[in-house]
Amino acid sequence: MSLKMEMDVSGVSRAPISVLPAAAAQPAVEAKATLKPEVERPRCSSTPCSPIKSTVSGYQILHMNSNYLVGFTTGEELLKLAHKWSGGTGGSGVDVGSEKPTAGAGASVASACPEAFPASPLRRPLDVGLHRASRIYKAKSRYYQPYDIPAINGRRRRRMPSSGDSYLRPTGLAGAGVGSGEPSKALHGPLPLCLLRGKRAHSKSLDYLNLDKMNLREPAADTEVLQYQLQHLTLRGERVFTRNKT
Amino acid sequence: MGLERRPPGGPGCWRHMPHRRWHRKSPVCQPALWPRQEPCEACGPRLDYLCGPEDNVYNIDFTRFKIRDMETGTVLFEITKPPSSNKGDKRDVDPNAGRFVRYQFTPAFLRLRQVGATVEFTVGDLPINNFRMIERHYFREQLLKSFDFEFGFCIPSSKNTCEHIYEFPALSEEIMREMIHHPYETQSDSFYFVDNKLVMHNKADYSYSGGP
Repeated sequence: MSLKMEMDVSGVSRAPISVLPAAAAQPAVEAKATLKPEVERPRCSSTPCSPIKSTVSGYQILHMNSNYLVGFTTGEELLKLAHKWSGGTGGSGVDVGSEKPTAGAGASVASACPEAFPASPLRRPLDVGLHRASRIYKAKSRYYQPYDIPAINGRRRRRMPSSGDSYLRPTGLAGAGVGSGEPSKALHGPLPLCLLRGKRAHSKSLDYLNLDKMNLREPAADTEVLQYQLQHLTLRGERVFTRNKT
Repeated sequence: MGLERRPPGGPGCWRHMPHRRWHRKSPVCQPALWPRQEPCEACGPRLDYLCGPEDNVYNIDFTRFKIRDMETGTVLFEITKPPSSNKGDKRDVDPNAGRFVRYQFTPAFLRLRQVGATVEFTVGDLPINNFRMIERHYFREQLLKSFDFEFGFCIPSSKNTCEHIYEFPALSEEIMREMIHHPYETQSDSFYFVDNKLVMHNKADYSYSGGP
């Protein structure tokens, strides 16, 4: 394993930094990452004719070889997308029974689970309880039917999905990537648990680790099941509801 | 160095997780002793962070990152963070969100053998002795490989550039197939130490099912 290090005390790096994408042996097709669409692209000062690449949470992607990498995103972007898909506004506009999305793991899970939120115009208050999230996840295959369709010939009809339904947007777990340019398509798979847990009060690392060393008991089985379910929550565009017929 | 396999149904077996108890953390795991003691390999990827953002008392800030294939020199990815990035907007953002990234690789990435990772970072006003990173890559609960990189000493208020070479382990076709078909079940923990004290903990997960 080799190591090369260059440092500059004055803060100016001595290492040559190329702002341009490095020349590749094979043509590098630019892949679109999880992006914020920009109206104007600032120009790089060293190469005025080359626009700086896309940005992700303040980072600038200078080069991405789509033969090997098709997407990159940060936890911040994932949380924003999850919040956006959940239909919440920035901060307190989420009907999850919690004031803020970052109030805790439960709120984070609820806001990250689009199945939990009915499509407009109806919005159901969502129980922040994690058991509710798992129950909704299991019911994801059902259609949302906001109104009764008159029965014909004694048979109740079901509303057929329309192209405007958000849950019909193709997402998939693989293959779509972000090549289509839609930022939401980068949100594949579950949110990582480390983000779902939200803010957590950490004591000094040594104290925390001591507590960890002291706790030798096995975790409760229901906690393990819960963690397993949380790690398999998927974020899709579909809105899933169970219609309670009274 | 290959995979560390665990017996079916034993601790760390992913498929049996909902049905039986298993030790999420080994009793002998003592991260407090890292890196003097070899990190516990029975723990699997961390579900949480072992330190808070406030533990980065040395104000280590990564400003640039690049990875390249060492065999061909092909640059795979390069990202930079401008120094003028506005941190005021991050008031309401989960502090852990800035410590997590997600990559969507293509299956071709798994065929690479050596990848060079160049990282540029700035440090605060304190000198940094024995700056070291231990990075562990897992597929589900299986440790793929552990990497140990030394940055050495860093002068206060300096900007530093360092390249590390990742020697990827030889993966079986079966494992690669599983990794491709189960995106984001490959994860990594990056632990940063200064004078053997944990100051930063970053996480990432990976998909290998992306297509060009």
